[in-house]
Amino acid sequence: METILAITSIMFFPAGISLILGGMLYEWADRKLVARFQNRIGPRWFQPLADTIKLISKEEIQPLGVNQALFFGLPIVALAGALTAALYVPIFGLQPAHSFPGDLIVTLYLLSLLTMCTGLAGWNSDSRFSIVGATRTLTQLFAYEAPFLLALLGPAMAADSWQISKIVAYTQTHWMIVLQPVGFVIALIGLMGKLELPPFDAPEAETEIVAGALTEYSGRGLALFHIGKSVEMVIGVTLVTAFYLGGLGNPLIFLAKTLGLLLVMAFLQSVLVRLRIDQTVGMWWRAGAILALLQILALIVLK
Amino acid sequence: MITTPNLINKVVSGITTWARVNSPWIIHFNSGSCNGCDIEILATLTPYYDIERFGIKLKGSPRHADVLICTGPVTRQARDRLLRIYEQMPEPKFVVAVGSCGISGGTFAGCYNIVGHIDEVLPVDAYIPGCPPRPEAIIDGVVKLLTHLKNGTRPEPIKPQLGEQA
Repeated sequence: METILAITSIMFFPAGISLILGGMLYEWADRKLVARFQNRIGPRWFQPLADTIKLISKEEIQPLGVNQALFFGLPIVALAGALTAALYVPIFGLQPAHSFPGDLIVTLYLLSLLTMCTGLAGWNSDSRFSIVGATRTLTQLFAYEAPFLLALLGPAMAADSWQISKIVAYTQTHWMIVLQPVGFVIALIGLMGKLELPPFDAPEAETEIVAGALTEYSGRGLALFHIGKSVEMVIGVTLVTAFYLGGLGNPLIFLAKTLGLLLVMAFLQSVLVRLRIDQTVGMWWRAGAILALLQILALIVLK
Repeated sequence: MITTPNLINKVVSGITTWARVNSPWIIHFNSGSCNGCDIEILATLTPYYDIERFGIKLKGSPRHADVLICTGPVTRQARDRLLRIYEQMPEPKFVVAVGSCGISGGTFAGCYNIVGHIDEVLPVDAYIPGCPPRPEAIIDGVVKLLTHLKNGTRPEPIKPQLGEQA
């Protein structure tokens, strides 16, 4: 019975198919909102689904000089990491499927797995564009990861627990966006860095380095990385909403809150321009990390 | 019982065709045109015409693209590069020739440095005439290609005899 439950929770809900479809819907909402901000009509609602099916049905080219196992294995590991992280997160405002003390750290590391796999894939692809893209991906990872972690640590310290379900139960009564506004801003911008959205899209800058680390990927591998990215978007938005915007509550209200967060992110994407990679790193370490540390310090002192 | 695999095949090919028609990602290559057509292509990609409505996206990498939008006559210098870009694209792939020069050589026809028009080098699926064609004409050409794809009436492109020239 337990194995059947585990298999269903990985294959269908909360991870698996429902999460992939949810990720596609969120991706569409993001693209549509950006399009509306640019005074366009934007893509139709099934656009990410059509993109994914088309990519899966395309030929997959393996370039010369790559390690075959890594080339085909990395997209699968990346997607699996993102899907596994969903097990510990209150997806769509429902209670997390699994929970243990310290699952916040595990979730954050599983989310970084996608970025690490993208970096490795770029390094393995044996193309100068993907190597530059991989370098930028990993450099940026070192920039936003620590402030993002510190920003999510604030609610965890306030709730006195490293367990997501307990933190969420605490934030339900304490709106962290009011109590820790600095942490909210850093978490939101850190999420944009994690998803490589503008202004942090230097790793996949189309005008400079073709498509970054994924330049050599075609067909199925590219599709898996895309799905992983949109799944990560769902998880990240869910985490920030649950931590800072008043916990879970009603699933419908929770969904509305995540969409509101998405609206803010789409607005920032459309008004900001791409930062150079050194500007990204400088901004995170000079401003982001110090502000996050100051907030943690204030928490410790005031507690 | 015997028809079941055929039915599955039919459904799968129907779904893939639907996806292919609704999500053509394009890559743009200039094989020696005067830049007029390229400016019009870039104008097509601006928010004013918003071709993301049709799922069309400009991609930087040929590995991600489905449709190669090619402008200008093929110069002797650009021929190898054009072929290389084409071969880097994964199957199934389509080529659209934009502008008079891509169709016939245009004003460059007969020049010493020209291999010829695009379909002497690549199998072209759609031709968009004009010098340069307006963005509406480019959208119309791409939509016509997609309609043929949808109806399964895409004519088999004539394979050019590679290596005959140059």
